[in-house]
Amino acid sequence: MERLRQDDPRRIGDLVTLARLDADGSRGVPELRYLARGADGGHTVLACLPPPGGDPTRWAAEAQQAARLTQPGFWPVGELGGTPAFPWYSSPYRPALPLPAVLAAYGGPLPEPLIRTLGGTLAEALASAHVLGIVHGGVCPAGVLLTACGPLLSCFGATRANPLAESTAAQATRLETGCLAPELAAGGPVDRAGDVYALGAVLAYAATGYTVPEWQEIPVGLRDIVMACRSRDPQGRPEPARVLAELLPGAAYGGLAGGTEPVSLPGRVVEALSRQSAEVLASALPSQGR
Amino acid sequence: MISALLYDDPHTVGPFRILARLGGGGMGTVFLARSADGRTVAVKTLHTRLAADTTLRTRFRLEADAARVIGSEHGAAVVDADPQAPTPWLATEYVLGPPLDVAVEGGGPLPEPAVRALGAALAAGLEQLHRSEVVHRDLKPSNVLVTAQGPRIIDFGIARAFGDEHLTNVGSAMGTPAFMSPEQAAGLEHAAAGDVFALAGVLVFAATGIGPFGGGAPTDLLYRVRYSEPDLGQVPESLRPLLVRCLAKDPAQRPSITELRTALGAVGGVPGDRRGFADLLPDAVLREIARRSDEVWREPPHRLPPPVPAEAPAARPASASGVSRRRLLAVSGGALLGGGLLGGGGWALFGGSGGGGGGGTKKDAVDRPKPPAALWSTALWCPDSGGEVMTVGRNLVMRAGIVLCGINAESGQGTWQANIEETWRSATDGTRVYGLRGYKDAASLAVCEVAQTDGELGKPLVELSAFTGKEQYNQLLCVVDGVAYLVAKAASGERWYLVAADLGTGKERWRSPVDGPPMNGLQAQAAPPALGGTVVGSRVVLCGNPADDSKFLGLSVHDKDTGRQLWRLSVTFAGTAPSRLVTDDRNIYVGAEDLTARRISDGELEWVVGMKGGSGNSGGEERRYSMPVVQDGVVYCTDGDQGLIAVDALSGTMNWQEKGLSGRKSTRDAAPAIGKRYAYCADDKGVRAIDLQAHKAVWTYEATPVVLTADSKGGRLYVRQEKRTIALPLA
Repeated sequence: MERLRQDDPRRIGDLVTLARLDADGSRGVPELRYLARGADGGHTVLACLPPPGGDPTRWAAEAQQAARLTQPGFWPVGELGGTPAFPWYSSPYRPALPLPAVLAAYGGPLPEPLIRTLGGTLAEALASAHVLGIVHGGVCPAGVLLTACGPLLSCFGATRANPLAESTAAQATRLETGCLAPELAAGGPVDRAGDVYALGAVLAYAATGYTVPEWQEIPVGLRDIVMACRSRDPQGRPEPARVLAELLPGAAYGGLAGGTEPVSLPGRVVEALSRQSAEVLASALPSQGR
Repeated sequence: MISALLYDDPHTVGPFRILARLGGGGMGTVFLARSADGRTVAVKTLHTRLAADTTLRTRFRLEADAARVIGSEHGAAVVDADPQAPTPWLATEYVLGPPLDVAVEGGGPLPEPAVRALGAALAAGLEQLHRSEVVHRDLKPSNVLVTAQGPRIIDFGIARAFGDEHLTNVGSAMGTPAFMSPEQAAGLEHAAAGDVFALAGVLVFAATGIGPFGGGAPTDLLYRVRYSEPDLGQVPESLRPLLVRCLAKDPAQRPSITELRTALGAVGGVPGDRRGFADLLPDAVLREIARRSDEVWREPPHRLPPPVPAEAPAARPASASGVSRRRLLAVSGGALLGGGLLGGGGWALFGGSGGGGGGGTKKDAVDRPKPPAALWSTALWCPDSGGEVMTVGRNLVMRAGIVLCGINAESGQGTWQANIEETWRSATDGTRVYGLRGYKDAASLAVCEVAQTDGELGKPLVELSAFTGKEQYNQLLCVVDGVAYLVAKAASGERWYLVAADLGTGKERWRSPVDGPPMNGLQAQAAPPALGGTVVGSRVVLCGNPADDSKFLGLSVHDKDTGRQLWRLSVTFAGTAPSRLVTDDRNIYVGAEDLTARRISDGELEWVVGMKGGSGNSGGEERRYSMPVVQDGVVYCTDGDQGLIAVDALSGTMNWQEKGLSGRKSTRDAAPAIGKRYAYCADDKGVRAIDLQAHKAVWTYEATPVVLTADSKGGRLYVRQEKRTIALPLA
């Protein structure tokens, strides 16, 4: 839980904001994300707003798309609200850490076995979406939300709804450059190969703390698959199912994404997840009249 | 553990709205609750009937005081309390971590650094308590919650101020014998040094999984606590001298709590680094902490309805509190027909087009769709029971006689085979395949994973010596969330039990007595004990297997966490018995001479379609209704030979029935399969596809189907015939 800033909204529709999800100064967060609560105190949600400088109409259209999906491994979009100029969506809260917060809690790049599980789960989620013709289009470190039961992909459609990384508007929330495949940065349409490129950037980030590391920085065991994902040629990138097979040889396909049982996580990461949960449990709506 | 509220639990306590139950005991109940400002808390109440006892009320007030004294670092932060209320209550933060006994049970004894860190933190908590001149007096593993930030001490039920003698009748020896101090066991004053003794016992437990004086009957334990030397054989060497001193019979010989804290923190501990504590915990404990952190945010389980006597379901007055719309739709025993009961709302799948006129029939006649071509067809015998096609990851598993076959879903080719001896001795959780170890050579009951490479049974995931492994009719019902549910025979005697076995920890969770396999006189009938068993929310539903000549079906429902039987009924059926258990999250559906829905919550009849002994062409041999299938709130089954019916699962209202079918003989034992556009029924001509909009058959795939299984994820309809299995595209 990160404290609200001066310029954060106090209310979003009939929701009262409690805190920010992302730490101050987080880069590459393609949405504004708040922990919020119904004014009657009954339900707590994660509420998302389009990034400053983005196209709210486009963003709302993407959110509407996402609300129709119940893809395993995707963070669900529950309720859509607001106006075309000020849209928002919310989904029931559950403890979740954006990948940058996971690295911060762990104290640096993650160990290789954990990257394999997280990356394999994300690859499986993308594989099952791609089979149905769904392209995520917003895979990036901040878009990966780690729950007790594994990682989920949020920020669906962010690439389509956000200003391109090159534009100077909205420094804080622009897309992470390293997640944008060269063909997309050149203005090409969002497609499956772009998701794979971004997945490679997420793996690189988990392993080094950067989305565009030098190849020597990537642990040897992960180097080939990360570099293959980040191939400049879209044709040269592997299918997500192949990424899964490389990361977790022998894993039963269909058993990872969208799981409902807790996965093994390092102590400090569990500590951060449970601390967030405890803080939100203990937090109260600000008293009336303020 | 979060569990459903009972029907008579309060809706509010003080300013808090009650959400779920966390635990209960002789003195009161602990609830999960929410304040108007959205804070989620644990509320402990003292039973109203005990609140008249001023001693208990005073003790409750002291508990609230003690909880405040220990504070949020070492205990649970107190949010609010009202010891003067008619039902006294205490609201604290909801602490995210398992009790130490649960943690050790799940993850095994803690490694030494964790024991030290745990001990140092607990000692610091007790130190703070003692500084305020309060003694805990009941420190034990179940009163220590293990969070990711460190242990928290809870439950000060018998804590009291130093020298405050009159509160407890000392001779009554409150507390828990296994972790009691010798002075407490002797009925003498248990002062601060008594807490040191108890803490050492807790640490011995944390390091070994058993208390320093073992287990057994309370009287034996009390004797050993007072007169025997503690058993520290399993305790790590470096901790032993310190713990031996703490466990001295003479309170004066024990170190002070401060000394103990310093000694524990000095060597290898992690003083001051509360975040580092989590790194010392075993993976299973971390997963349990993570699970609790996540679980508390899920929708709480529904409040349980009041218990009802098993005989005639009586009409309940509508004024009873918490009567839901569903309850009002309940019918008592008799028949219900027509759509008048459904009070609007979005439950009927087909809305306006549901009941009557079907447009577009002309068009159907012009470009009537043709049956699809089979994607593959493979030779495989279908057994009498358990012939459903199971999906495991992206592959298929089918039973064929005494073997279990792994099938490539793309090609239909077999990839492995496992010998499971009987169809009822295997199950899957959708990811892995499990089987019972062979009964010919196994002494004890064991659940093994079936390798999806070569079909070999792996090493037992759980082995239960309390149950015989030599029993052919032991049955593996299902595996859900890492827990296997079985019906098994005790190692000695003739009793049969429903057993929950944790595949993660390899331990039995609970057992509950149930009926064994059906008997003809003294002869076993070559049939498993149950038609099926399944987990529905927080409950386990079991449907017994009726004997050939029986007209009673035994249904029982058990609490998933404790195994406690919530209800049990013998329901009569006419015609042949159903061949398996069909449920959704509310009801159990039985198709026989009538089609009934019975509530899982209390076993009461929710609705009935068709009249017993009414029309139908069953002649007592074949039942009228087929095995039902329930999907998206609609129950589908065939009615005699007149075709498919779709019934609203909530109300029992007929949504629609198939039109224009004649000359087909339904296969009653095969439940229909449902796709997005078509429902598929098995009859003597083959597989009939019925358009879900037009309610008419559009094509027939010629076959002799025995079992139909729809795989909506993979988009396949699997048709099992006696000797061959076919995959069709599911539309």
